[in-house]
Amino acid sequence: MFLDTLTSLDPLASALVERARVRGAYLIWRAQERTCARVLVRAGRVEEIATSVSSGHGIHVVDEHGGVALASRDDFHGEPALGLLDRALEAAGHAHRLGVPPAFLSGLAPERARLEPTGLDAYRRFDPSRAGKRLAELEAEIAARAPGLTTTLALSTDVDAWRVVRSDGGDVAWVMPRCVLRFSASSRGAERHTVGASVAGPTPDLLDDPAKLATFLARAEAAARLAAALPDAPSHPAGSYPLVIDYALAKGLAHEAFGHASEADGFRSSVLAKDGRFRAGDTVGASHVSIVDEPVAGDHAWQPYSASGVRRDRATIVDRGRLADALTDPWSAPMSGARLTGADRAESFRVAPLPRMSNIRIEIDGASPAPGAFEDYGPEEVRELLAGSGVLARHPEVVFLSGYSGGQVNPTTGDFVFNCKAIYTLGEGKIRLHKPAIFSGSMFGALHAIREGYGPLLLDAIGTCGKWGQSVPSSGGSHYFLVLEPAPTVRLGGR
Amino acid sequence: MDLSALVEALGGTREDGCFVDAWSVAATEARRLTLGTKDARTGSPHAPLALSESLAARFKIVWSDGRISRGVLDRRQIEQDAASALREARLSSYDDPDAKIVLGPASFPDVAVFDSRTDEIAGGTVEPLAPRLAAIRARVSAHGFRTWSGSLQAARATARVVTSEGLDVETLGTSWSWHATFDGEIGAGISRRSQDDEASFLARLDRAIPVALALREDASKRSGGVVPVLFHPDVVEELFIAALLHNLDGAAVAHGTGAFRREQFHERAAVLREDLTLRHDPLVPFAAGAYRFTQEGLPARPVSYVEKGRLVSPLLDTKYARRLALTPTPAPSAIDTLFLEGPAPLAYDAALAETAGGALVLGVLGVHTQDFTSGDFSMSAPQTLAVTEGGRFAGRLRSTISGNLFALLRSPALRLVSFPGEHTPGLLAPCGLDPV
Repeated sequence: MFLDTLTSLDPLASALVERARVRGAYLIWRAQERTCARVLVRAGRVEEIATSVSSGHGIHVVDEHGGVALASRDDFHGEPALGLLDRALEAAGHAHRLGVPPAFLSGLAPERARLEPTGLDAYRRFDPSRAGKRLAELEAEIAARAPGLTTTLALSTDVDAWRVVRSDGGDVAWVMPRCVLRFSASSRGAERHTVGASVAGPTPDLLDDPAKLATFLARAEAAARLAAALPDAPSHPAGSYPLVIDYALAKGLAHEAFGHASEADGFRSSVLAKDGRFRAGDTVGASHVSIVDEPVAGDHAWQPYSASGVRRDRATIVDRGRLADALTDPWSAPMSGARLTGADRAESFRVAPLPRMSNIRIEIDGASPAPGAFEDYGPEEVRELLAGSGVLARHPEVVFLSGYSGGQVNPTTGDFVFNCKAIYTLGEGKIRLHKPAIFSGSMFGALHAIREGYGPLLLDAIGTCGKWGQSVPSSGGSHYFLVLEPAPTVRLGGR
Repeated sequence: MDLSALVEALGGTREDGCFVDAWSVAATEARRLTLGTKDARTGSPHAPLALSESLAARFKIVWSDGRISRGVLDRRQIEQDAASALREARLSSYDDPDAKIVLGPASFPDVAVFDSRTDEIAGGTVEPLAPRLAAIRARVSAHGFRTWSGSLQAARATARVVTSEGLDVETLGTSWSWHATFDGEIGAGISRRSQDDEASFLARLDRAIPVALALREDASKRSGGVVPVLFHPDVVEELFIAALLHNLDGAAVAHGTGAFRREQFHERAAVLREDLTLRHDPLVPFAAGAYRFTQEGLPARPVSYVEKGRLVSPLLDTKYARRLALTPTPAPSAIDTLFLEGPAPLAYDAALAETAGGALVLGVLGVHTQDFTSGDFSMSAPQTLAVTEGGRFAGRLRSTISGNLFALLRSPALRLVSFPGEHTPGLLAPCGLDPV
């Protein structure tokens, strides 16, 4: 259904492949059709419904001398497309004048496939006006549970369809559906704080999914109560502490601290590589800790094929403390010494794909159980969990970082940061809320510091990952909670 | 730019028994050339020489029953499929009485936004890029930088706004930008409407090198505390000005989700120190943020947001201007038309001398994770240089910084600092700094 336009482009694809062949060039052709909508509700009324459509194609060529260029245009007309291919080849021919070294691709197995998840007819049935009314009802329900706040609800839908055709016969097409229901609450006093919450799903049916909505309402209520409480909360002093982080922050740790540094396009400067080669086998963390990245069906960041038309593999970046796989694409794999994992993604047909994460997680061997749903755990329940397993006997006070609000890394230095939504100090007989503060450190210190995990894996922490000017959906998680021992290179900011 | 099919469809559309009562279309047709360098590999497959052609249009429709539709159309819809796009738009319509305003003809100011040299590059002429790359590579080699990354970009764009009220205005502009980062740490760059001349380019590049070199040495360990911190203009833009704009946004003011309340604008409440002003002037020739009209068709004009510490106006499109009973304002589209002003700034060298015992913060990680509403910040500042007596650099001081942005901007101790070649001033103020 959502691949109809792209699959109807066989004549254009064939003409481009043939023109490239005649000119002695190798072609990777990417066509994309993306449809987005956003419904925004504030104070019980629809403030905006906005829709957008973008479609077009990108021509990524390698000429006979290894010169590379990319040209793009936002329609699928034959004549302009062939003209664009000629311009791309001309540009690739300029490469040597600008000191551009020749590029070489991995040998690729051509695959032909079409992949459209089931349930996408929900997008055809989607009625933004009805969604607006439903959001207003949900807002009223949250306000009844946690009154006195300024709230915003938004539903975003995104159907992102791709087709990648290569000179070697590879031809894959797939659709990535994504919906996110977001909430934010702002306190109303002189000092204002804003706290958000979200759930995601593959279709807009999540507005009619009782389980999903129950999770959303629980998260939204917690966010609203936090926004109300934060203005009166003190700041936490800076320093190194025993920490407990939730699964969303663990996703941030995996993503910022290790994921980016394992992206092979940056291996000439990454701390996980030496002289451009991945340091596979090096010990980088505790022996019970692994980091895995892979597309998960139905997930916010699911992508079954890479932007070069290669099936995306699971990448065990850290296997029980040792570096194992890198996130590679056909260009970077040969130079990095790491196997091809098909990790390249692109925000749009206009830009060159880069190795990127999909759903990344931290796994702990021998994680302890944590019964019930994650939303059942407030600071009191987390303290009981820690007390029951002896952590509070080891450390009289533990700092609990709750909720992820974004992060950043410098893969060259290994410095990472991420922020939480709240900090609680947990001790015997006392729990105290503090304002959020930056969590920063060195990736190696952080991974060595992880000691315990609690609960099953929960992989629905979502975000948007920015790199080299491109934004793509990201996701991941870990066990409900991880405990980190104090480490001098891992610090909480604060005041 | 041919919008005739779209305009014709807008005039003839009937959906649900309703016709289009009023409409506006803001379209941009652009071509662009980009050349990237990743890890010292110029034009690599991950940062190739890239050419793009695009046409997109942002639209607003006011239907005869008062409902509103908004969205973005791509070239295919604009040129071939406008009727079905408008049918889809009707399905996404909603009630919003404040959004019904569609502007008519007006007098539009002139401002220089087109440069023929930049236009040539945008069209595919790559030769002018070669000496720029050579200059960067020469400095990388001369100073022993391990690697560098960056990009050079030129674009040509025609912007046109057409409305049902008889407005039809168009302008042709160019844009040029470059940046280069040494060893993944610190670098230089600029965005403008015209290509910078070679001397300016080299001077800007060379100013980045001493600090990049100074970051190679680690500073001796220090204790944390409140010390003089000199924020580089890049940090001022990314953190201080971004936070102010976030809270000045008309929607945030109207809905009470920002730091500033609507009554504070009517009262002209004091929110910053009494000598600080934040204003926007989109009529600066060849500034990256220069333009003649907004996407709604509002003529460009200078506007003050904060004057002598007091709130003057939020950033207002026509919808939120109506809701807040204020005048709409042309919004900033780049940092170089925003002016943070105050008392005569300290010269850079004098400011460094006053920073003794503190640090120069060149870059921060995690700005987007901060809650700009509260103004509280807690960030990692890995690119920070310790400063000693006489304003000398004493090596890199990996740190976290924390405080409250509004408190800093109200501090009597705050000083504006003139950094050579920079549009935005640096800020010198006592700030919490905790070396890692």
